[in-house]
Amino acid sequence: MVSILKRSLAIITILIIGYWLAVAMSHVPFGQDKMLVGQYYLNHVKDQTGAINAVTAIVVNYRGFDTLGEVTVLFIASTGVGALLWKRKRERTARVPGSVVLTTGTRFLFPFIVLFGAYIFIHGHLTPGGGFPGGATIATGFLLLYMAFTVYEIPHKGFEVTEGLVGMSYVAVGLIGLLIGSYFLYDWIWQTWHVGTVGKLFSGGFIPIIYILIGLKVGTELSGIIDNMLKEGVSGND
Amino acid sequence: MIEISAYYFGAIALIMIGLYAVLVKKNLLKMLVGLSIMETGVNLLLISIGYINGKSAPILSEGIGPKQAVDPIPQALVLTAIVIGVATTAMALSAAIILYEKYGTLNIEEIRRLRG
Amino acid sequence: MNGQYASLLIAIPLISAFFVPVIKAASKKAVMPFLVLVTAAQTAAAAWVFNEVYTTGKPIIVMAGAWRPPVGINLYIGHFAALFVFIVAAVSFLLSIYNFKTIKIEPIDKYAMLFLLLMLGATGMIATGDIFNLFVFMEITSITAYALTAYNKTGEAAEASMKYMILGGIGSSFFLIGIAIVYGSLGTLNMAQIAQLAGSMNATAAQAGLALLIFGLAVEAELFPLNAWAPDAYQAAPHPVTVMFSAFVVKAGLYAAARLLYIMQSVGSWHSVLKLVVIMATLTVLVAEFSALRQRNVKRMIAYSSISQVGFIALALALGTQAGVDAGVFHMVNHAIVKALLFIAVGYVAVELGGAEMENFRGLGRRMPITAFSITIGSLAVIGIPMFNVFWSKLRIILATVDVGYTWAAALVLIASVVEAVYYLRLLHVIWFEGSGERITESAALGAIMLLLVALVIVIGVYPDYVWNLAQKAGADIFNVAQYIKNVPLMGVGA
Repeated sequence: MVSILKRSLAIITILIIGYWLAVAMSHVPFGQDKMLVGQYYLNHVKDQTGAINAVTAIVVNYRGFDTLGEVTVLFIASTGVGALLWKRKRERTARVPGSVVLTTGTRFLFPFIVLFGAYIFIHGHLTPGGGFPGGATIATGFLLLYMAFTVYEIPHKGFEVTEGLVGMSYVAVGLIGLLIGSYFLYDWIWQTWHVGTVGKLFSGGFIPIIYILIGLKVGTELSGIIDNMLKEGVSGND
Repeated sequence: MIEISAYYFGAIALIMIGLYAVLVKKNLLKMLVGLSIMETGVNLLLISIGYINGKSAPILSEGIGPKQAVDPIPQALVLTAIVIGVATTAMALSAAIILYEKYGTLNIEEIRRLRG
Repeated sequence: MNGQYASLLIAIPLISAFFVPVIKAASKKAVMPFLVLVTAAQTAAAAWVFNEVYTTGKPIIVMAGAWRPPVGINLYIGHFAALFVFIVAAVSFLLSIYNFKTIKIEPIDKYAMLFLLLMLGATGMIATGDIFNLFVFMEITSITAYALTAYNKTGEAAEASMKYMILGGIGSSFFLIGIAIVYGSLGTLNMAQIAQLAGSMNATAAQAGLALLIFGLAVEAELFPLNAWAPDAYQAAPHPVTVMFSAFVVKAGLYAAARLLYIMQSVGSWHSVLKLVVIMATLTVLVAEFSALRQRNVKRMIAYSSISQVGFIALALALGTQAGVDAGVFHMVNHAIVKALLFIAVGYVAVELGGAEMENFRGLGRRMPITAFSITIGSLAVIGIPMFNVFWSKLRIILATVDVGYTWAAALVLIASVVEAVYYLRLLHVIWFEGSGERITESAALGAIMLLLVALVIVIGVYPDYVWNLAQKAGADIFNVAQYIKNVPLMGVGA
């Protein structure tokens, strides 16, 4: 009885909210050109940042603060998961080893997955993708290792330190901008030297550098989260 | 009746489906799935706001000039929003792991009862 | 020094948080002292910014990547932000000392990172001048808060954190929908430009967008229907984290809500949204005060009291008058001081006597006199006794409320204040006139912190003019949107 009442109440609430949202959205025209700042980005992205992918130019360069925050959010997630699932002693408890197909496939594919991830984040300023998808791709490689081998663990200490150092390098790149160009996150590579040709790999100012840092960071962080979630505390040591 | 694009309608419908799951479901994991569905709906909404009829992705390679591309900003925003969603989900799942360790269940009513 | 160096306020905590794993690899003992060092540096930076803004009278606009707004993201450190960034840093500095006594649960290095990032998130929320960047900083704050709420890893803590996450998830989705509507209508995310263009928005869309943004922030700002997480989280979180929630995390949410409310003031349906917030705020005060009456756990009781004070602030900010906003900002400052004092003292009692239940406070006056004295002053101040700081701000809020014509709200809020007096006096009775026990030696550092805050409470209570002046300037910063638009060096884009 109660549950039916609750359900119908929820449905009514949802219909009201949905209708309200729909009315509001009906005043935002769909498919029409209403760009203001967006058009500015499209017009100037090539000469101002040296990237041809406008989305990554916005993410890393024009709205770099957001991305710094985004990296921080992921860092918080990995730290938070580590803090919540912390146990004095933790082990992997998987008992069933991966099948032959899985283990052989993993051995064969792992380097290519990592390579592909690296490709994605190195070419972030030219093609769709960037540091986050690239890092996530690398993390899937580690996930495969975890699934295939019951004893595999990532090198924790190395990963944690890499995570920290890479994050520091990102802030440091921003601070170098503050010193050289007197603005935080100033693209000192492109704005001072205009290195490389637009549309080629060596271009895009600091976008590739930051995306390499982000790719490494995301890869290590997501692998760390996977590791934390897969391991269980050894009984008696709660 | 109001007139609304199918894309907006789909996005809002997803948001509402997610909200329904959050409000009604008793299993924590299902509630978290609901939250993720909501986030997906919101991301779709953002993306469809940036769409412009007949234009192409904002990568300015051959044949696509500044006048032929859709609005890049919402896409950049969604990139950020997805990562934030992942982070929230990861945190929520680890809290759920703790809850399961302590109470042996993920049913919120059971948990409330066990806590007394 | 160049004003752009104000970006250090973001850079210092961030780079330090990333540095913690490296320190931990060297020596685990160094983590907590490192925290003291970083928060001290942050306080120094914030003091410099504060001094800069209040002596020149001009806000500092930090432009990331040298892009002028609205193309790039800018930080807007005006009178309000300068004041509150300083409060955030100073409170964090005091808490970094408090951490030594209260944080015993492992892993301490992760705690240190989350501590710094919570400070960073609140700083960013207060300083940013871009609506999506506000969302990012809001998520930094709230995801850190989720993690810290559950840090004690008890069932209660995990449950509180879960509740917070679900409400926070709904809130952030709503906030993003709000952003989608505003961006879809105006094509910009910069707050100053939104303020400039808001008048051209369709009234229905603007009303929905603004209401969604406020609802999204209401989770952080602990307004009524969305604050169900707060008492549980306050109770279950480690003591320093509770202080942070009450002293500045809520304030950041409130400020962001007020800022968005005022920059959208030229939209047609603005007053209906204001009225909605006034109702939410009044309900927040009432519900929280009556819930506080029933509590047996002192930390939870003070948590409810904190929520009700937050309702007061929200009421003042939503009045839509200069006097209301000034009073609200003044109350924010006072509330930050008093609640920091109360939560530090109560947390200290809980650490020493093994819990914050009412029974633990019996005879506290004889067992821990300095702490008991601090709690007494704090409680008397919260009730609104004259000669303490909260009296002045409460008085101004009520006067401003009556002035606008919301007599009913003022009356309800006054009734709630009487309720508040009842449960605080009950606590004081337990502390001074019941039970007894042997004397416990109190830590000198914590005693000094508490007495410092007590001194602030009394000094502001006797000479309110200086802080009131600051609050007026900070309030004008929020209220005077035309000036805000003028201060941000917008460049012309598009047509």
